[in-house]
Amino acid sequence: MSERKSAAYRLGLITLAMLAVLTIIEFFVAVYVQSVYVQSLVLLFIIAVVKAAIIVQNFMHIARLWREESH
Amino acid sequence: MSAVTTHSPHDDAHGHEVPYETQMRSNRLGLWMFMFSELFLFGALFTTRFVLWGNTRPALSQEIGLLATGILLLSSFFMYRCEVGAANGDQKTFLRSALLAALMGTIFFIMVVVMEWNVFGLSGELFGIELFGHLKPSDGVYGGVFYAMTGMHALHVLSGIALILIIWWNGRRGFFTPERHWGVEATAIYWHYVDVVWVFFYPALYLMGHAVK
Repeated sequence: MSERKSAAYRLGLITLAMLAVLTIIEFFVAVYVQSVYVQSLVLLFIIAVVKAAIIVQNFMHIARLWREESH
Repeated sequence: MSAVTTHSPHDDAHGHEVPYETQMRSNRLGLWMFMFSELFLFGALFTTRFVLWGNTRPALSQEIGLLATGILLLSSFFMYRCEVGAANGDQKTFLRSALLAALMGTIFFIMVVVMEWNVFGLSGELFGIELFGHLKPSDGVYGGVFYAMTGMHALHVLSGIALILIIWWNGRRGFFTPERHWGVEATAIYWHYVDVVWVFFYPALYLMGHAVK
């Protein structure tokens, strides 16, 4: 039980770190690749999709939708 | 002579208790379907930005945008800890994290309404960073789209904060157990959804396109 809890808290920290890094990358892409509109737009959109996927998977637990047990 | 009892299907429906696991699955599916329906609303606003702004965007404070995004992500992290705490019977972490998530959400809300919308008409700088925005709802397509997107999102932030405070209050009274804490799980999923929406709104409003003064 305790190990499961620690793993869950660790996952939260790892997810936060990944989101923070991606947000910073996003910011620099906007600042430095802005002159190439289409490329920066596509890149920013891809980063947003990756960030959303990480939140949906790790924070929102979408997998619970088709899992048998209650928790 | 035996007694005859009348037994209708109607009685069956009321007498039968749905197992908790089945109820949870239905609850989760219902919540996700609700969020999917909300996707049309936010998707329409997101599309409107590209149709009306194209390759441009209003000159907004990059620092405020980045800071507000960071605070909302941090708030999501605390909401996650809150749910893990409730699921593992860690009451202290659950209550403390719920309050921190609500606090971060409130700071985000204040940053959008007081600083970016500048509802009090303030002005000022900190370390050369302009703290208050200039864009008004009447400023053509820029003002209209910006206020529609941030306004709709802020409304969801506000309702999320209210839900977090409700679960915090109920949690203090021992309402949730590691086995039964659907209220906490639903609030957490909703709060993360609000975060996911901002994940798309932030680059669309602050980063994509050339800034127009």
